[in-house]
Amino acid sequence: MSRRVEQVVVIGRDAAVWLSALAVQRALGRAGAKVRVIEMPSLLTTADVYAAVPSLGGLHRLLGLNEAAVLEAAEGLPVLGQRFVDWGAAPFIHGYDTHGVTLSDIEFTQILTRARGEGLPVPFEDFCLAAAAAKQGRSPVTRAGVSADQPVSVGYHLDARAYVDLLRGAAIQAGVEARAGDVAEVERSGDRVLSVTLTDAEVVQADLFIDASGPAAVLASGAPGPGFESWRSWFGANRLLVASAPRLKPLPAFSQIAAFPAGWVGLHPLKSRTAVVAAFDSRAMSDAQVLQALPGLTGLPLTGEATVEHLHPGMRPAWVGNCIAVGGAAVSLEPLDAVQLHLIHLGLSTLVSLFPTEVEAMPEAAAYNRAIASHVANVRDFQLAHYVLNRRDGEAFWDRARAPELPGGLRARLQLFGARGRVLQGEDESFQPQNWAQILIGHGLIPADPDPAVDAVPAAEQIEKVQGLLRRIAGEVRAMPALDAEFGAA
Amino acid sequence: METPDAIRRIVIVGGGTAGWMTASALAKVAGVRDRSITLIESDEIGIVGVGEATIPPILLFNRLLGIDENAFIRETRATFKLGIQFVDWGRKGHTYMHPFGLFGPEMNGINFSHYWLRALKAGGDPDNHRFIAEAEAMRENRFGRTGPGDGAGMPRINYAFHFDAGLYARWLRTYAEALGVARLEGRITGAHRDGESGLIRSVVLADGRVVEGDLFIDCSGFRGLLIEQEMQAGYEDWTRWLHANRAVAVPCERFEDPVPYTRSTARESGWQWRIPLQHRTGNGYVFSDAFISEDQATSDLMARLDGAPQAEPRMLRFVTGRRRRGWIGNVVAIGLASGFLEPLESTSIHLIQTAISKLLALFPRAPRDDLMAEQFNREMDQQYEGVRDFVIAHYKVGTRDDTPFWRHCRDMGMPDSLRAKLELFEARGEVMVERHELFGESNWFPILYGQGLTPEGYHPLADALPEEELRLRLDQIRAAVSARVDGLPPHERYLQQCLAAAPR
Repeated sequence: MSRRVEQVVVIGRDAAVWLSALAVQRALGRAGAKVRVIEMPSLLTTADVYAAVPSLGGLHRLLGLNEAAVLEAAEGLPVLGQRFVDWGAAPFIHGYDTHGVTLSDIEFTQILTRARGEGLPVPFEDFCLAAAAAKQGRSPVTRAGVSADQPVSVGYHLDARAYVDLLRGAAIQAGVEARAGDVAEVERSGDRVLSVTLTDAEVVQADLFIDASGPAAVLASGAPGPGFESWRSWFGANRLLVASAPRLKPLPAFSQIAAFPAGWVGLHPLKSRTAVVAAFDSRAMSDAQVLQALPGLTGLPLTGEATVEHLHPGMRPAWVGNCIAVGGAAVSLEPLDAVQLHLIHLGLSTLVSLFPTEVEAMPEAAAYNRAIASHVANVRDFQLAHYVLNRRDGEAFWDRARAPELPGGLRARLQLFGARGRVLQGEDESFQPQNWAQILIGHGLIPADPDPAVDAVPAAEQIEKVQGLLRRIAGEVRAMPALDAEFGAA
Repeated sequence: METPDAIRRIVIVGGGTAGWMTASALAKVAGVRDRSITLIESDEIGIVGVGEATIPPILLFNRLLGIDENAFIRETRATFKLGIQFVDWGRKGHTYMHPFGLFGPEMNGINFSHYWLRALKAGGDPDNHRFIAEAEAMRENRFGRTGPGDGAGMPRINYAFHFDAGLYARWLRTYAEALGVARLEGRITGAHRDGESGLIRSVVLADGRVVEGDLFIDCSGFRGLLIEQEMQAGYEDWTRWLHANRAVAVPCERFEDPVPYTRSTARESGWQWRIPLQHRTGNGYVFSDAFISEDQATSDLMARLDGAPQAEPRMLRFVTGRRRRGWIGNVVAIGLASGFLEPLESTSIHLIQTAISKLLALFPRAPRDDLMAEQFNREMDQQYEGVRDFVIAHYKVGTRDDTPFWRHCRDMGMPDSLRAKLELFEARGEVMVERHELFGESNWFPILYGQGLTPEGYHPLADALPEEELRLRLDQIRAAVSARVDGLPPHERYLQQCLAAAPR
């Protein structure tokens, strides 16, 4: 007789552990699942930040978290995009905007490609509402929260520790049982985890284990199977630095991601400080050299604690036996493009949709791993696109970044976009064609030709459309409040 | 922007459904202002009238052309189609339906099927059709179109058509010629290729005429006049999974008001189709000649018609599979020239339509555009493989083992992609469908369940709904389906209304 999955134990730390517990509790608590958390010591410092793409809003709704309360509790700022500086092409903003504009069913990218081909000197980002608003420090979000009918999608900067505290409270309130602890030993039988012994000798058993321990992967790393697949050959940075700098005035509505000889440094404005994150290659610069260089690179002094940790991009099969790794325990990527929380979200929404029906056999694992691998590969390729399109010639780190043998999907995507301005969309995409078009054009991959169908649209109609769109965007941006006026007073 | 080597002359090789659908769409979307479109067909060569039954996306194609649907129904002697009725498939004596409708609404983020399975496991009614409006309408022989805002809370009706593909091609010919497509009558006997690039420069007709072009669309059918005989694309054979290799077809007299569905009846060595049109009924027996002779299959078919035959039976011989590359150089194969899948799920015309829309989206800038060709081939491969797996599932799932043909089906292997789908469905009623796949959860569920595969479990989330509320929701959905179907007129009456309303 088959038995349903009832006991779920989540072992891990920080956002991953509490998001996982809360998601499973909210979705399956009523169906009989009991969720217990073993909270491992945090790895976060006062400097850490979670930068998130707009999909986080969807996760919050699913978890019953109030948007305004999250922003308030976590020093949070709503942001509209990321500005890329010094990657070799002119600076540009990747606006979190996925509103497609079509003209007789031809994507706007196509029309603009042709207009640029004919010498119209308008930057692509001016046609993205989020980017245009971000440039002017405006945002449709007010202190009262995000309104449902706002015309742009909004991302987030959240103080990591404060956000985790909020999540912990919400999970406990939702009925999750929790204790602090650390893992001493894992007992397995075949591919299944039988029990986990904690350092204080408590033996924890469960029908289903979730490993949310970050790159340490305390449960998943010992599982049988192919193990961790390294993406070192694509991502050269092996160090990750976090620090703080003073608050920016006025508050910008975007993160700034600046390339420097050894990697990139991101400035993520929060209400009362600026979080500084850098990913770099220790072969190009040492930790100490980067710390020393940062004030010059960012124009800001560093304040408070700064830490540097090891970084190794790659992934492992997330679901083996009765144990599912979520977030950093399954996938390790640079915090570029604000995807950290998104990767956790991805794991959890896939888990909820494939939550196992019974304890003994879990045939869902194969489908889950396939979906996650395909989704993550697309996210990875989006990050990788920044690197391979860089134009910082003559610097070893950046020259290497342009050189690697690309994953097939990305190669086809770059080729097709370069030829036609058409964004190939496959399965399981996190970033939409508009996101891809913005970064590809931003980094200088200008399509050689538009789609031939554009030729069929009369030039006058195209010009009118382009001008009309610019007017509409200008109007909508004017109607938004300044971000600093809403959030800068604190 | 002017490109010196742009596509100025498009030559479509072969008429028929594929040729004229392609000509019509190209003329409508790309136009003949900057280019010529020529279609070459020969009255000598018989047209294989495939795919008289269609699936709902055909509505999009007609909309793209700006065709009035009622006029289309009149001109092609069409009837409406709500789905397919499968008789004696999973097991003898059992009938089920593949309706074009949704199986209830999604609730709390998971498919209705999980809630229904929960009710089933608790001893509920095993008839899934009661929750699908199209299936209930099929049973009652009713049909009507539903518009947005028409009947709040009631399910909409999804449909396609049965039509005479020969009449459709003839009608599209008029349409395309009016938009400037030139038709040349003639039989093609050869082609000239550029020695350096290998591209086709021109085709030669039997009377010596030479037709030059920049882009050639091969709609020449099975033989693949350009894609195979010139470009040597190669063919991937799928008969290890789909071993039927013959179809004998014959029209018969209409003996009753046409029903709004296709019927597919499993036979000793294959299956028989029945497609009702306004003026006649199309019939055919798809079989494998390894298990039954052509003569025997023909006489079985003729003995099993429900009206007097209207013509001599025609034998079609095919090899199920896919051209390894459908676009090579400046040749793009569309229709039977690009591959063949038996019409069990009425996909022939859809695969034509898909190829046309992909060709439009990837329209080449120059006669040779390998990047576009690669992309086209990649996307078409996925389309074909998705349909292939769906069709195989009909043969593979089920318990028939009463003839050598069905025992062969039981014992044969299946693609890994299909195996993974079936395993998950069996465990929990979940169908993992990828985005590019034509058939979704609402198609796979009725087929797999109808063939006799009842999932062992269902999504645990379905247990979150209190029992009382689950019963209430099921009753509500059932009531909405009934209300919808009760409000539909008989199919024949609705058809007559459409014909009366058709513009002249």
